Amino acid sequence: MMRDEPNFDFQQAIDSLRERFDFDLVSIALVQSAADQFVLTWQYASGNLNERYKRIVLHSGKGIAGMVFKTGKPMMIQNIADELDPNDLFNYPIIVAEQLQAVCATPLWKESRVAGVLLVGFREANRLTASLLDDFRQYLDPSFGPYFTKELIEE
Amino acid sequence: MIDIPMSDLLRNMYENSMEAIFFVNSEGEILHMNPAAENILDYDVIEQLHKGETISICSSCAGYTSEEAMISCVNCFLKNTKEDFSSFQVYLNTRGRGLVPYAASFHVIDEARGIRVFMLLNLTKQYRTQEMLYQTNMTKYVIKAQEDERKRISRELHDSVAQELLSSLVDLRVLKYMNADEVVLNKLQQTEASLTRLLDDIRRLAVELRPASLDDFGLEAAFRSHFKWLEKNYGLLIDFKAELSAARYSSEIETVVYRICQEAVLNALKYANTDEMLVRLFEEEGELQLIVQDEGSGFQLNAKDPRGTGLGLFGMRERAELVQGQLTILSEVGVGTTIHLRIPLSSNQGGGKQ
Repeated sequence: MMRDEPNFDFQQAIDSLRERFDFDLVSIALVQSAADQFVLTWQYASGNLNERYKRIVLHSGKGIAGMVFKTGKPMMIQNIADELDPNDLFNYPIIVAEQLQAVCATPLWKESRVAGVLLVGFREANRLTASLLDDFRQYLDPSFGPYFTKELIEE
Repeated sequence: MIDIPMSDLLRNMYENSMEAIFFVNSEGEILHMNPAAENILDYDVIEQLHKGETISICSSCAGYTSEEAMISCVNCFLKNTKEDFSSFQVYLNTRGRGLVPYAASFHVIDEARGIRVFMLLNLTKQYRTQEMLYQTNMTKYVIKAQEDERKRISRELHDSVAQELLSSLVDLRVLKYMNADEVVLNKLQQTEASLTRLLDDIRRLAVELRPASLDDFGLEAAFRSHFKWLEKNYGLLIDFKAELSAARYSSEIETVVYRICQEAVLNALKYANTDEMLVRLFEEEGELQLIVQDEGSGFQLNAKDPRGTGLGLFGMRERAELVQGQLTILSEVGVGTTIHLRIPLSSNQGGGKQ
């Protein structure tokens, strides 16, 4: 099983993920250890414009990653400009900092808990086509590195 | 005594007084009025009078303020001889200014012929002053009530809810050292993780409502933790320069400065398209001063449709006025925005070092 693999190279994995689907940005947020109060922070990124969002501590239920973390459901926004209120955009710092126009965030499961979030995005709207999403889902099924991408398939 | 005949004095007073003076008969018909009175009434009323028609003061009067109503015609002062009308408030339909309140007095000056004098003094200005005073006080009360309530809930969250949760967490950690098997321990760690995050959320809520550090340690400490929080939540980098050396001010001033700064920084975060800004807090020329500056996209100060509600800047001004502070907002599109707050410190309320 992949999840027993101790030294999964996340950076290499998201670099190749980005290349394969032509994403502008791929990033992973992971729950930190007890010493870091189990906070959720962005750990790896590929294609990022700056380091701003790495300073951010994510909160359950807030922002894209927070929402996915809380609900355990994937979340997708095809066209940021249409679907999000511009006055509310500051609550989505990664979208602002990375100038994203379309994003898709997937929960990463470990022991029936969401342990992280995988975010992919384009700086152009409507690039998340149905066929691309199909391929992407297939690619992630059933796991990404040590994490499952679906709930309730363990043990 | 200076030798000016009484009749001259009276005539001059009548002609030049700011007070409108009407002489009316027992029916309320206008017998004579001074220029100030003519200035009040509608042209067509004056015209009718000049044509020799009898006009009752009633045609311009909308009513007076009685104990029962703001504007009432019950027990009209023209007819009522029993009650005292030496000083009361009356509303008149005036030329070009609509309904205006006047301080009025109504006396009988010639019992035999039934002649009365009706004198009016415009109250609009005094009213406006009163209204402003009332509004300022009201805003003060509302803001104070809001801050007090926030403080109460914040303390409650911090002192009881968060404390209870913390002791549960400690209990939970103790379980680790009691021969539990691996599955239980694993589950335990997950619960510990979510409780730790919950505790953090509650503390954050408490601070967001009103930082305890503002009351306990003053502006500088409160700002430092707020800016750290902004960095963690929005990746915003704030260059904070405080030159107060831990001085404390009245709680009212500290609240105003904190809230205005909070709003200014939040505005920059929302609209300036920048992740860096400068905040400077210092005392100069007997004033406590705050500067919030960014080199972001800026905005047009008098734009017809501001981004957001447009209430933020208004609220900042309102708060500044509560402590006789002055708020200057400079902004230029493409250059950035500077907010400058100055609050005068009287000798007894400022600079006290702790």
